[in-house]
Amino acid sequence: MNNGRALPLITSVCYVRLAVSEPSASARFMSDIFGLQRVADQDGEIAFRSDDRFRTVSLGRNSADGASIGVEVWDDKALEEIGRRLRDLGFNTREATSGECRRRYVQSALLAEDASRNRIDLVVRPSRSGRRYFPARDAGIVAFHGVGLRTIDRIRDLAFWKALGAEVSDFVGDIAYLRIDGMHHRVALYPSKRNGLLYAAFEVEALDQIMQNSYFMQESQIRILQGPGRQPASRQIFLHVEGPDGLIFSYVNGMAEVGDRPRLARQFPLHPTSLCDWGSESKDVPELGAPG
Amino acid sequence: MIQLKDVSYVRLGSPDLESAEHFATSCLGLQIAERGKKDLYLRSDERAHTLCYSEGDPRSQTVGFEVEDEVSLQDAASTLESLGHAVHAGTAEEAEQRKVKSLIGFRDPSGNHVELVVRPERSGRRYFASRDAGITGFSHIGLNSTDPARDERFWTQICNARVSDRIGDIPLMRVNAIHHTIALVRAPKAGIQHVNHQVESNDDVLRSYYFLSERRVPIVFGPGRHPTSGARFLYFRGPDGMIFEYSVGVDEIEDEATHRPRQFGFEPTSFCMWGSKPAGMTLPDN
Repeated sequence: MNNGRALPLITSVCYVRLAVSEPSASARFMSDIFGLQRVADQDGEIAFRSDDRFRTVSLGRNSADGASIGVEVWDDKALEEIGRRLRDLGFNTREATSGECRRRYVQSALLAEDASRNRIDLVVRPSRSGRRYFPARDAGIVAFHGVGLRTIDRIRDLAFWKALGAEVSDFVGDIAYLRIDGMHHRVALYPSKRNGLLYAAFEVEALDQIMQNSYFMQESQIRILQGPGRQPASRQIFLHVEGPDGLIFSYVNGMAEVGDRPRLARQFPLHPTSLCDWGSESKDVPELGAPG
Repeated sequence: MIQLKDVSYVRLGSPDLESAEHFATSCLGLQIAERGKKDLYLRSDERAHTLCYSEGDPRSQTVGFEVEDEVSLQDAASTLESLGHAVHAGTAEEAEQRKVKSLIGFRDPSGNHVELVVRPERSGRRYFASRDAGITGFSHIGLNSTDPARDERFWTQICNARVSDRIGDIPLMRVNAIHHTIALVRAPKAGIQHVNHQVESNDDVLRSYYFLSERRVPIVFGPGRHPTSGARFLYFRGPDGMIFEYSVGVDEIEDEATHRPRQFGFEPTSFCMWGSKPAGMTLPDN
């Protein structure tokens, strides 16, 4: 992941900022149903915690600076290196203003776009929280885990992530699982007809919480878009839940650790058995499905 | 005291052996050990058979327990007779049908047909399943009881069963280190309430949930997790209404001398800590 550097360029996916039509109604879903902790409401964005970070999810109205994904960068020097690499590859980047940094709870940031026009914030020193995480509901969330992104230009988008130091762990068809730390993946690129966030995934303690949340969602009449299931490539157990405005929030557990040794990406065919070992299928989200 | 070593087999009557065989192999996933004219023998582990379908009345249900030796068997017969239970000494033909050296049959206080057997056969060849359900072996039964307190006394005072936990007044009883081998279920009449097979992993429980759902096998409870034994489970309905269970991760009682049965309230969360609700299967009635 370090691409020959002593230190990695990026360390984690650290937040998602989401644009929704009704932030306050959606906020109730995030806290009372999904189980995050509501921590702030400023600059037109409602912020939620899932771990020791100050916030990992923000809900705002649809606006020009309304949606983005945060990626934590090692330091300002690494940020400069990333900026150089992205510009060399022809990607749009610009430095964030102090207002944009404040809204993102970070010290400095480079605002970039991949080839699909997904907005990726490369951020330095995102805020942590001194108090421990205390959610509204016992969903068993322990940390924000990662994201699935829709891509309309998978080759260029892959180049974007590789420039940040990400490596492909495995492919299912043209779905690419990208590794940025020791875990099998933190980012997954899903070929699609449009851009945008496919899902935001939150790690829970164990299988127990995946299953408890599955029954909780059924009782709360919240649509489960796929799962409980298990991703064969990463061994991760998942439950994809439908949130406000069709956004997908996922509970995950048990992802394989790959470590930092070089590893050849494996190719799985685009088939339902490559996407779920247990037999769950997604009928309504084309990116999560495969022709049987 | 009658020393039960382990549960050995279940015998079920069925009017339609062909359907029973289809279910046992393509859904449940057992291995056919032997097909007789009127009997179908099925394997689930290293034993020669653990389930036998016999052409006949589906109300005819028997559970077999293994005892140490012939002497123990004769002692058990005397004990049961002295308590007023009618004891049937198994014939050579009956022993052969059950693949055991010798046996006796009797009814427990609820009227369940129970057999005690000596030297049930093992198989030299390893178990090879008909479908990859991950079964590791036949493990326990749910047994109907018209009076759980009375039947608990029978199984724990006349026999060697020990209570591991209770849900309401329903005891889960063990005869060896495994959390339970007999789970009593309050019911209006005698019968086997469910037959449990252990599987390898959580993955197998969830895979079978999707596999059986797709084949329209009625899932009656689960996927879930029992807070008592810790086991992840799936209950589903087979031929003649019999309920089968897959489970994994049943606790072992580590210290026989100091284990005290825990009391769980009679409520849904005592049966499933994940939140699944029984559908088409009655929970043991308090």
